Amino acid sequence: MLSEQQIVNRKPKEAYPALEQPRTVRVKFRKIGNLQYISHLDLQRTISRVLVRAGIPMWYTKGFNPHAKMTFGLPLSVGAESLCEYLDLRIDRDMSCEEIKDRLNGALTDELYVLDVYAVPQGSAFADIIWAAYDIRLRTQGLSPSLADEIKTYLTTSPLMMDKKSKSGIRQVDITTLIRSLDSSVENDELRIRATLCVSGSDYLNPEYLIRALRERFGLLPEGDMTSEYTILRTHVYLTDGVTEFK
Amino acid sequence: MKMTQEIENRNNGARYSSTLLKSISKPGRYAGGEYGQIVKDKATVKARFAFAFPDSYEIGMSNLGMRILYGALNSHEDIWCERVFAPWVDMQEQMIGHDLALCALESGDAVREFDFLGFTLQYEMCYTTVLNMLSLAHIPLRAEDRCEEHPLVIGGGPCAYNPEPVADFFDLFNIGEGEEMLPEIVRLYIRMKDEGRYTRADFLHEAARTIPGVYVPSLYRVSYHEDGTIEAYTPIYDDIPTKIEKRIIQDLDRAYFPKTVVMPYIETVQDRITVEVGRGCIRGCRFCQAGMVYRPVREKTPDVINCQAREIFDTTGYEELSLSSLSISDYTRVGELTDKLLEWTNPNMVNLSLPSLRADSFTKELMDKVTSIRASSITFAPEAGSQRLRDVINKNLDEADLMRAVNVAFEAGKNQIKLYFMQGHPTETDADLAEIPALAHRVIDEYYKNPNRNKARPPQVTISVSPFIPKPFTPFQWEAQDTLEEMRRKQAFVGTCVTDRKIKYNHHDAPTCRIEAVLARGDRRLGKALEEACRRGFKFDAWSEYFDYDAWMSVFADTGIDPAFYANRAYGLDEVLPWDIIDCGVTKAFLKRERERAYKAATTPNCREACSGCGANKWGGERACCPNSKS
Repeated sequence: MLSEQQIVNRKPKEAYPALEQPRTVRVKFRKIGNLQYISHLDLQRTISRVLVRAGIPMWYTKGFNPHAKMTFGLPLSVGAESLCEYLDLRIDRDMSCEEIKDRLNGALTDELYVLDVYAVPQGSAFADIIWAAYDIRLRTQGLSPSLADEIKTYLTTSPLMMDKKSKSGIRQVDITTLIRSLDSSVENDELRIRATLCVSGSDYLNPEYLIRALRERFGLLPEGDMTSEYTILRTHVYLTDGVTEFK
Repeated sequence: MKMTQEIENRNNGARYSSTLLKSISKPGRYAGGEYGQIVKDKATVKARFAFAFPDSYEIGMSNLGMRILYGALNSHEDIWCERVFAPWVDMQEQMIGHDLALCALESGDAVREFDFLGFTLQYEMCYTTVLNMLSLAHIPLRAEDRCEEHPLVIGGGPCAYNPEPVADFFDLFNIGEGEEMLPEIVRLYIRMKDEGRYTRADFLHEAARTIPGVYVPSLYRVSYHEDGTIEAYTPIYDDIPTKIEKRIIQDLDRAYFPKTVVMPYIETVQDRITVEVGRGCIRGCRFCQAGMVYRPVREKTPDVINCQAREIFDTTGYEELSLSSLSISDYTRVGELTDKLLEWTNPNMVNLSLPSLRADSFTKELMDKVTSIRASSITFAPEAGSQRLRDVINKNLDEADLMRAVNVAFEAGKNQIKLYFMQGHPTETDADLAEIPALAHRVIDEYYKNPNRNKARPPQVTISVSPFIPKPFTPFQWEAQDTLEEMRRKQAFVGTCVTDRKIKYNHHDAPTCRIEAVLARGDRRLGKALEEACRRGFKFDAWSEYFDYDAWMSVFADTGIDPAFYANRAYGLDEVLPWDIIDCGVTKAFLKRERERAYKAATTPNCREACSGCGANKWGGERACCPNSKS
């Protein structure tokens, strides 16, 4: 958070030269800890206030109900954390990316924190994001070391049919086709799965499906067991080749 | 900034577990971590205070009093105040199932470990939720059952003006405005601890003895007459006050006001900047508790209000600013204030909202300033349908005023008018009630007579009618509430008088209003009923889906309480009232005078036109509208 003094000393956004054409900048941020419980809709409302209190020179839509123009990258489901969320902002004054980053972080907490602000690379669009890498950890008592291999085999052997919800209703899907790579390990009381899952349009595979599969097949995380817990962390997003990081 | 590796390796084990939060609805209610929350080092602070709002997160986070007191306590370096709200029903089931104690949001520590647990009592129907929260916190309900290691449970807020129904459950009450009193209480605690002379009993005695506005109910014995009315309140020490005078802030301009707000991530009921323009109301409606207990009327200056609002905008980025007041248009410098505010709210696209507009001061000029609000409806509260009854309740509003106000609204393109009324005022007849829909019909006629109306859509007038609830410290405090049958008959009767589909008729739940009357005018003997209600799992009684009238009736029957004794009995004018232990400024003599005038349908001028000698001016107050002389 900014100190009171910092807010007082900050130049008003009106002091920056107006741009002839609005400019789009990309914000990469993380959403972790308590922020994992905040829905996408709530995040949007939060960010619109953050932009105001940070004094970002936003370009406003010209309609009857003017609002700041911002576009989010992938949605992140409630209960998942991420180190690689993206947001495009349209600004109408010449403020440097570095200053935008500092201003935003002054108006945010550690758990919703801007990692980078940069000019959008030529031709780059959020629709280019096809894969996302996740680090899933499950902490529970009495995991056998052989479980790692069993889980890997189970989750990567086609077909693994699951009921998958989509806008058009529930359908049976072989989820292995939506998993690009998957690795699993067990250490002490922690099961760790690193997986690259499809995040493209209707093929979006929510990592919770993997948790569900573990519940159903291996009896992990039984209903009402509050001593075990799991975390889902999105770490990287990739282009269609599954290797090149989105920028 | 933490390193990525650190983030990957950290454990989410503190407070409620992530597994629990992932299994319930709206986990954002319990997560904490909001921008603007205050976190201190618990090893170095000297007192920890859990500020509890006995309702959901969404309701509690909207409360201005909580925002102020949270900041006021935390402005002391050695006091750490945290927030706690009532967990929703699904969360409660999990907490009970897994034996988890209620935690505060900031630290995630159990509130049972705190030095203080303070409840704000905003409405009577929250009482069961207070007990529910104590029980979830694993704290004994009754003050007498708590030991040295339990937090001191303290209460304040508007319902503390008659704290008796919940007296058994609180160690201490704050009577009146808390910005100064609450920190004084905590400072006394710290001082006694530092000096090594703290015990719970000594602290309570010393607080009652030395801090004005402090009421420690266990230090007063109540005796009763055979007919069930109160005989007397007797202090058990002779060095504590026999009547607790409420506290007021002398100069609102200089009172603590927060520079920022804890920003909820999830949507709350009133998610906006709220700034008070003053306290109290000049009007003196005879049913209205707020209009009496917040006297003397005191104002803030426009510059101070403007700076405070701007400061909060800068630190929050909110898109709406609401000016809080019992009657905003009675603020003497409302034009000057709104002009100052609009200078920066307009260019920053912040909407200005002015709640509680009186019809007689609703002008085109004021309307133009709030048109930025897109709502197509506007609300007025005539409170009674007939002029006679409006005079009885001292509303001081003519039908001509209302018609002028609705025409202003119609000409501004609005075509929906909401009108609030009450039923069951003293002296009310069916003829008065029939005037409620009749008035709505005349508003519709007015719409069609106005050549500049918005013809795009037909008009709609919504009439909302709530049963009268007699409240302490009002001229109507002695009045009986209508019986449940009579309330329902009247509700149906009003419905039969609505003959136009452009009129929408709503009414409040009569059984809820009856229980509210019992709790509002109750005495200490209600404690056993509330305790039993808590044992039977009552909570969230302000939510219609959790309110169960029949269950309340069986609690009363099983604990020997006659609800009619509190709701439907006319209290004797010479009777010792449960709230006579409190001095809220307005005198009983004044309330009796006002009651007599009500029965003669005689109005009383507002405080600015003439002083009616209510007695609250004995406390002075900067920019108060009272004459300075003490009467």
